[in-house]
Amino acid sequence: MAALEEQKKQLRMTPFDSYPTPTSDVQHETEEILLKHLPGDDDGAQSPFALHKPVHMQFLVKHLIKGFPVRYISQDASQPWLLFWILQAFSCMGVVLDPDNRQRAVEKILACQHPAGGFAGGPGQAAHLLTTYASVCALAIAGKPGPGGGWEDIDRKGIYNFFLSLKQKDGSFLVAHHSEVDVRGIYCLLVVATLLDILTPELIAGTPEFVASCQTYEGGFSNASFPSYDPHNPGKILEGSPRPALGEAHGGYTFCSLASWVLLQPYLKLLPAEQPKPSIDLKALLRWLVLMQGTESELGGFKGRTNKLVDGCYSWWVGGAFGLLEALGVGGLENAKSVSEDVVDQEEEALKGLKIGDGDWVDVEDGLFNSKALQEYLLLAGQAPGGGLRDKPPKNPDVYHTLYCLSGLSAAQHHIYPSTSKCKNLSEAWNPFNERKVDLGVSSEDKDLNAALRREAYAAILSWDEDAARASNYAHIVGGKENRLNATHPITNLTMTHTEGIAKWAYGL
Amino acid sequence: MSQDRPELFADREEWKDVEPLEQYENLTPLAPILYTAEYKDATGYFRAIAKSGEKSPRVLELTEAIIRMNPGHYSAWQYRYETLLAISAPLDVELKLMDELAVKYLKSYQVWHHRRLLVTIMRKPVPELAFITHSFSEDSKNYHTWSYRQWLLAYFNDEEDLWAGELDFVEQMLGQDIRNNSAWHHRFFVVWASGNPCRATILTLFEYDRYVKQSISLAPNNASAWNYLRGVLNHNKVAFSSIAEFVKLYTVPYDDSRKDIVDVDVPPPGPSADLPCAAALEFLADVYEQQGDKDGVEKATELWKSLATEHDTIRVKYWEHRIREALESVQP
Repeated sequence: MAALEEQKKQLRMTPFDSYPTPTSDVQHETEEILLKHLPGDDDGAQSPFALHKPVHMQFLVKHLIKGFPVRYISQDASQPWLLFWILQAFSCMGVVLDPDNRQRAVEKILACQHPAGGFAGGPGQAAHLLTTYASVCALAIAGKPGPGGGWEDIDRKGIYNFFLSLKQKDGSFLVAHHSEVDVRGIYCLLVVATLLDILTPELIAGTPEFVASCQTYEGGFSNASFPSYDPHNPGKILEGSPRPALGEAHGGYTFCSLASWVLLQPYLKLLPAEQPKPSIDLKALLRWLVLMQGTESELGGFKGRTNKLVDGCYSWWVGGAFGLLEALGVGGLENAKSVSEDVVDQEEEALKGLKIGDGDWVDVEDGLFNSKALQEYLLLAGQAPGGGLRDKPPKNPDVYHTLYCLSGLSAAQHHIYPSTSKCKNLSEAWNPFNERKVDLGVSSEDKDLNAALRREAYAAILSWDEDAARASNYAHIVGGKENRLNATHPITNLTMTHTEGIAKWAYGL
Repeated sequence: MSQDRPELFADREEWKDVEPLEQYENLTPLAPILYTAEYKDATGYFRAIAKSGEKSPRVLELTEAIIRMNPGHYSAWQYRYETLLAISAPLDVELKLMDELAVKYLKSYQVWHHRRLLVTIMRKPVPELAFITHSFSEDSKNYHTWSYRQWLLAYFNDEEDLWAGELDFVEQMLGQDIRNNSAWHHRFFVVWASGNPCRATILTLFEYDRYVKQSISLAPNNASAWNYLRGVLNHNKVAFSSIAEFVKLYTVPYDDSRKDIVDVDVPPPGPSADLPCAAALEFLADVYEQQGDKDGVEKATELWKSLATEHDTIRVKYWEHRIREALESVQP
């Protein structure tokens, strides 16, 4: 007990300058609770860092087979999400569903497909971009090609038309008819379009500009941007108006914006060089992401907004965003510039004395956030004693937090990076006579750009690879080998295998 | 028909002509939600109505029952909106209902979006400001609420009746909690980012600077204020070095000898501030790095090292990255 008290004393609670406000009050309450979850002297034989996979499995199985308690009525318009969160959490833990339940999952998802295209929150509900993503990803896990496998029952043309019907003049998309514009919808649309080979220039023209416009002065991204309108002319945008972000920088929207931006790169790279292109401020984004990690008194978890509280789900939305930055030239092995001996010496000199703990934890390939601390947050505070993972103690676990905590843990354990050589090989191996299996009515004017975009989007999504050297030992996994989770694709939040499986089928390969 | 004793639609005489639809036909779904009888009943009737396309007053009754049980049922909201328009229902009555629901279901996207749809048609934005302000007493950082306020200001763009009071409103919110990042973001929106027509009459950058500096001197360890400060300088393309003198005061422990010097443009920290503050050290390192020479990089590196080893240790990887990047940038 003494060692724990000593440790607590050394950990600085977040300073508040003797000027308390509601924010600092709730911050301190939270830290008091979190610090109780530090490993103590009295943990006994069991490692405090053990990931209790069996009880989390039980938690998920209970919901899958018995069902969801009454309070989940609030999720009745998110039924594909409930399935996706469970199925992906299983996949992350290396568990495969039995064939009968896989079939039942496929049938349920297909019952949510809307006759006019897209997937809804439940049978008889309206189609929605978010549930379309959840459905397609659930099918990627539980389905397969061939009759009855589910994949062939996906109405790709229907989805494409549904997407087009939601497109706005400013490059954004409504998430459903009469619904809001929201960058989460754009992320969901782009993942589905990329995986199912229905990504066209016509679909995404103007979308990069919209995504870029969602970046705020803090460096993260908000849910949407919006111009000023003419006060004397209802419904008309004011000429020359700026279009600022609505809402502050937020972890969920930042992930969706950044992943969308990465998915839009193949398109942007194919546009003529002289065409002006939108850009985002990567330096400001990196700073914001890094500042979202809580301090040691918050056990190293991630928060979603400045001056708000840590929450396990941001382990994925924010912790998982670092992997995406590598595709844009920030961080990671492939982006490390080759420099002269001189610079290497100077760096070593400057960084001398910064080695903390084991040398293993401090190296260039290690990513730009504190992955050891994030893992500790999830293992010490994220796990609910009765099974399932959660926002933070003492909150109850739920299937949403169970998945995103596991996804975040996976992102912290593995180093998945976009391999330029793998991308090049896929692009060069592309068969130009391999036509799209679905007729989207693409105009012949756009034919070349369309064909090139298919090839590059396919190559890009499958170019992510695991750092083999790092994967071959367990030094980066807090809690050791038993805690290892499967690697997660940084864009889709599926395993690498499931991402590949559905994409290869969709592109006719 | 009170809410406390809900009557099933199946038991209502006026619904006898409708056959409710099962959600899942011919299959026992995996991962079922264990619905209440009331919810199952209402949604069964909704599926039937949505299929037949009926748009009538009783549909308003049905969709209201559903959204009270599940405010996230976006299809019911969507259908309700279409019905309101189809039967030319009085939208001010609808808005009053929304006033009641919004308080109970603040975190639902749909409650706010529905409001946006109504106000777009009704074009009476002014009372919305008071409603939004009142909502903040429940949850001062509600994301949808702040977004809605920004949308309202931009869409109606009324200088006198909407924009004019906004700066006072923000300062009121910040007065309640100087660490409310949503309020700081709103301040940036009102003063800098939006097409706010009041900007012409607004004070200069110089005076705005003063507000955030005062806030920092009150509570230096406030990431929101520092982010706002950086945002303002970047937006106006003003070098960070222009306020180095101010920032330096926050990079060292409290200096007792300063207490009698009053300089409005360089407000110092008070005796109970927790100093040095990490955000100030970071800011000063940026000032040095922006010098663009070896001397600047050396000074910045010292600060980044102090952050990595003492003042902001969780971010050691990032401070190393900054050191590495800076060293590489000054190579011949």
